Amino acid sequence: MRMKTGSGSFEQQTSKPVNGTAPSELTRRGVLALSALGIAAIGQGPALAATPEGQLTWAVHVSLAPTWFDPAETPGIITPFLLLYALHDAMVKPMPGGSAESCLADSWKMAPDGLSYQFTVRTGAKFHNGEPVTAEDVKFSFERYRGTSAAMMKERVAAVEAPDARTVRFVLKEPWPDFLTFYSSATGAGWIVPKKYVEKVGDEEFKKAPIGAGPYRFVSFTPGVELVLEAFEDYWRKAPTVKRLVFKVIPEEGTRLAALTRSEVDIAYSIRGELAEPLRKTPGLTLKAVVIQAPFWLYFADQWDAKSPWYDQRVREALRLAIDYKSVSEALTLGFSPITNSIIPDNFEFYWKPPPAVYDPAKAKTLLAAAGHPNGFDAGDYYCDGSYSNVAEAIINYLQEAGIRVKMRPLERAAFTSSYSQKKLKNLIQGGSGAFGNTATRLAAFAAKGGAYAYGSYPEIDELFAKQEAEIDEAKRTELLHRAQQFIHERSVYAPIWQLAFLNGVGKRVGESGLGLIKGHAYSAPYEDVTIKK
Amino acid sequence: MKQYIIRRAGYSLLSLFLLSLTIFLFVRVTGDPASLLVEPGASQDDIDNLRHQFGLDQPLWVQFWLFLRSFLTGDLGHSFYYRTPVLDLYFERLPNSLLLASVAMVLSLVIGIPSGVLAAVRVGGFWDNAGKVFTLLGLSLPSFFIGLVLILFFTVYLGWLPSSGSGTAAHVVMPAFTLGWYFAAAHMRLTRSSMLEVLGSEYVKLARLKGLPEALVIGKHAFKNALIPVITLAGINLVVMINVAVVVETVFAWPGIGRLLYEGITFRDFPIVQTVVVLGGSMIILVNLFVDILYAMIDPRIRLES
Repeated sequence: MRMKTGSGSFEQQTSKPVNGTAPSELTRRGVLALSALGIAAIGQGPALAATPEGQLTWAVHVSLAPTWFDPAETPGIITPFLLLYALHDAMVKPMPGGSAESCLADSWKMAPDGLSYQFTVRTGAKFHNGEPVTAEDVKFSFERYRGTSAAMMKERVAAVEAPDARTVRFVLKEPWPDFLTFYSSATGAGWIVPKKYVEKVGDEEFKKAPIGAGPYRFVSFTPGVELVLEAFEDYWRKAPTVKRLVFKVIPEEGTRLAALTRSEVDIAYSIRGELAEPLRKTPGLTLKAVVIQAPFWLYFADQWDAKSPWYDQRVREALRLAIDYKSVSEALTLGFSPITNSIIPDNFEFYWKPPPAVYDPAKAKTLLAAAGHPNGFDAGDYYCDGSYSNVAEAIINYLQEAGIRVKMRPLERAAFTSSYSQKKLKNLIQGGSGAFGNTATRLAAFAAKGGAYAYGSYPEIDELFAKQEAEIDEAKRTELLHRAQQFIHERSVYAPIWQLAFLNGVGKRVGESGLGLIKGHAYSAPYEDVTIKK
Repeated sequence: MKQYIIRRAGYSLLSLFLLSLTIFLFVRVTGDPASLLVEPGASQDDIDNLRHQFGLDQPLWVQFWLFLRSFLTGDLGHSFYYRTPVLDLYFERLPNSLLLASVAMVLSLVIGIPSGVLAAVRVGGFWDNAGKVFTLLGLSLPSFFIGLVLILFFTVYLGWLPSSGSGTAAHVVMPAFTLGWYFAAAHMRLTRSSMLEVLGSEYVKLARLKGLPEALVIGKHAFKNALIPVITLAGINLVVMINVAVVVETVFAWPGIGRLLYEGITFRDFPIVQTVVVLGGSMIILVNLFVDILYAMIDPRIRLES
């Protein structure tokens, strides 16, 4: 039964089959019945599988940091989850079945008043040293967590109780509808480490020889060079089929593609548009695109200034109509970046699907004329993160055609991000975000009053946002958040561009790459589902 | 002599201090590292928390004092990105950089010196012109381009060499050649001009007048003297090769100091950038100090003039 966050009633999440390669034939009712009998876990034990064999090698585009071996230090970026899914496991985490699937938690329930969440630890779940995962480990992992949003989570959680070896209870100070979003996917707080081992070796040693409850155990790591992992056959979900995973760091994408072509590696991450085309044409190689939770958009920073042309909604609409987003996606990401027409990722909770984007340059010109700009206008600066200036160039071409004349101002990423958040930019901003969370957390940052990246707000959005914050009934909250998104769409507060696709190359030896199995996740996962061709 | 050495050592320390101050300030004007370690849209609390962890919320002079103090005690801090001691990272990468730089240096000398001598003794001839083309290409082609062309040819088409990484002799070939070509060109140019200067000197003329065979004149009298500036340059170049092979190490995923510097710059990892620059600068300052002292020992006029 899918979690109904904030329903205000007693609801239970039971074990759900999440075996990506061999979906259970049990019906939902059947699972519930088994769960009631306390035997569902039997069906979730290590499946009978052949002994893991062979090796798969990934060419990774970023340097792997040892801090990513420790879930307690999970920063607010998606990359550490590349390793967490292999070495560790979480109580509840995004899986092929959904964004909050039971993993180390056998089941969980929210109290009717929304003031506590109780989890039951899965029987048979073990760490790589053979010790069972217990409630104490869960409590310990949460309490030592110091990564992204740690302060906010600990401020809202009054206590973590472990009354017995399998039960953990999170007591909240007040109802918090987004608790599970943060515990399961937006942070590393729900990823479990072995208390006894961490206390024995200390934090620094743990990063050198991490032990987790994930499908692969740590073998060796050379910073900046490679990481080697080996299958953990006692993994609760199923034994992995590939014996050894090797992650090689190759920063240059041309080199990654060469390594893939020569079968030095089996999967190469991040092969962008220019190289993706030859990759697609190379026999034996497969281009695998993964749409990640990172929408891009244009933001009208001056729309609250009555003197700015962007104050006029018709001008904002004209801009949206002037851009052929589909052609931009085809030119830069071979069409793999979907035109979702929203600033909210389509896999986020409470996402509202807007009508499709329309490309109508004639109507754009008509709207501009009606707004008093029959010959177009000088629209000022167009700021963007320099690493995405290719997107800006494509967009600006369309704007120029419509008579919207802008000056491109690419900034280095750090300078762009800090200027954006400090609200120093003007006119047009090409932004985007891959931050975790749900629709509410995105709106809080980008649309609601006081948001870190909101240059202004509308009373309608603020009212809806304030109401949803206090609403624990999921249906009502959904409606409020849908209305807020609809308002943003109708008033053209943003001009959404696309939801970015992450392009990767897959070699001929790979059976299942794991890419795209978990919606919105950029990398191969779950690793126990990854296979080599027979 | 003692006074001279003390004075030179003092200058070296001053240079090191100025280098530390410069790099400390320069990395801080490049942007906020905290904003690169979170996704755009992250909460201000998370960004502030990172800034606090890194000590970036402290006044600049406090940060500089802490940096200097830790530098003097041999602790160069923890990497923002890797969260491990920077010195550990540096010394893990140093052997790889030494290996790459040594092979590249040998290649550059083996190619650069003989071709420079040949060009000097055949001025205006085929070898001189061929040498000019070689040096022009070596000095002007960007190393990332050379690297990618080599990968395309030797890895993708011929399948002879691995595209990247380290561990075997085959892994060193392409990065060493890419790195060495630029320096081979520089060594060739210097050898050629140095040889031409020596070949025009009085003692070479005298040797020829004495009727010595041309090979002996070039090999013994001219070459040995022309080699001194080349060796001096090669010494400095070796230090440069060790520390700033940024592009080559990145293209070939060679795990050396250059790539560490690249990672440091990419992630605004101030401790890494400061460490690589200060230690690299220290090597150059030490080499210069050593050369200064050596010159002063050889030529008393130098120490008396200064």
